Amino acid sequence: MKILFLFILIFHISHVNADEIYNLIKIPNLEIYKLKNDNNIRYLSAKGNFKIGVNKNISCDKVNIDNLNSKFPLIEKNLNRYNSNFLNKIKLKYIVFCENLFISEINTGGIPDNKNRTLILDINFNKKYFERMIHHEIFHMIQNIYVEYFDEGKFSSLNQTSFNYAECSTCSDRLNLDLYEKTDGFLTEYSKSIPSEDMAEIFSFLMTDKETIKDKINSDKILSNKVNFIKFNLAKIDKNIL
Amino acid sequence: MIKTIKASKSEKILFIFLICLSIFAFTSFFLLKNKCLFVEKNNLSKLNFNDPDNIAVMNVECGNVIIEFYPEISPKAVERFKILIEKKMYDGSAFYKVSENTFVQAGDIEYGNINNLDYSKIGSGKSGLGLLKSELTNDFKFTEGSVGFARATEFDTEDSEFFITLKEIPIYQGEYTPIGKVVYGLDILNKIKTGNKAIYVLRPDYIKTFRMFNSN
Repeated sequence: MKILFLFILIFHISHVNADEIYNLIKIPNLEIYKLKNDNNIRYLSAKGNFKIGVNKNISCDKVNIDNLNSKFPLIEKNLNRYNSNFLNKIKLKYIVFCENLFISEINTGGIPDNKNRTLILDINFNKKYFERMIHHEIFHMIQNIYVEYFDEGKFSSLNQTSFNYAECSTCSDRLNLDLYEKTDGFLTEYSKSIPSEDMAEIFSFLMTDKETIKDKINSDKILSNKVNFIKFNLAKIDKNIL
Repeated sequence: MIKTIKASKSEKILFIFLICLSIFAFTSFFLLKNKCLFVEKNNLSKLNFNDPDNIAVMNVECGNVIIEFYPEISPKAVERFKILIEKKMYDGSAFYKVSENTFVQAGDIEYGNINNLDYSKIGSGKSGLGLLKSELTNDFKFTEGSVGFARATEFDTEDSEFFITLKEIPIYQGEYTPIGKVVYGLDILNKIKTGNKAIYVLRPDYIKTFRMFNSN
């Protein structure tokens, strides 16, 4: 039995490079992209493909450095909106850049991991939604830490009683990220998937397109209540983020 | 009658060459096998320090590694380290996690002792002295030979495990509690067995003894 265990151990450990970054955030094949930043965020990039997570269900490819260089100013501009104190509170320190990010074979723009203070970003994510996606994923990190502030039951009760969210974010076909012309309580189709995605969509619009939100809530009471819910609870963490 | 055949000149040269080659191969095998052969030994009797109370000597296979502690940076961590040394709890502790030319890690008291290695739990062992709060500073740079307190993924989980960097690792700045720096014997640490690009080292090198300089 011991020999079998040893054999399994050797098999498992022989595929992971034990470098200093892996030791810190448990993602292999990374290198430093930019370390010193005003808000103490650290940018890392994938120098090789990697697979992580339960049953290696998260996979991402190495970055083309020219591709990253061209997109980095936009990413940095968006992340610079968060101060170091706020980032500390939501446990975000490392941004990992890679291409073609998949979780359980589903393409995704970002994967937040509060435990390792890391947000993995797919730099090839749809250009149209890219900036919004960054803030959307950051909201998930906020909610993971401040579960009590962003209670899904309380938030869901702001909807019409006849409305029901899906069981999970990927088990419905409500995936479109385009802004609704007529909102009816929801900014996008994806907002209708689950409460946390609904909240994240509101937050991402608040961060990137405040004017549109202002305009939409004038004629949408439900959405207005939801926006106020997000703003009110976010202010408990940091008054200056929005 | 057996006729003796005289070896030609070229045959003699070839024969001498083969003998030389076998002698060379034989000696090389035994000399090169000794990884500590060209490592400088640190003779403790010849060393003097301004603050000997904060100097410790870690004896490993290739010799003595001398570490200076920085209690002014991380008083609690250094205090813990000294307690563990005085209780001889690091003796036999395996360098179970080694990244070639990057860092070496040891100090799992419970599951990482060479006499009781448990690879299913290694890295999660406790010293029995409780967890410490991280003492982080952005002023300490993890350069070659820096000694830091290892921790779990979360902060404030330092206990007994430590690592020594074998190169500058800027990303560790502000991430780990600094304990001190190697003042002699970095080349000795570079000889510690690696896991050949794997996380864990099977049949690892280990700390023979770890003592405060004054007790030697």
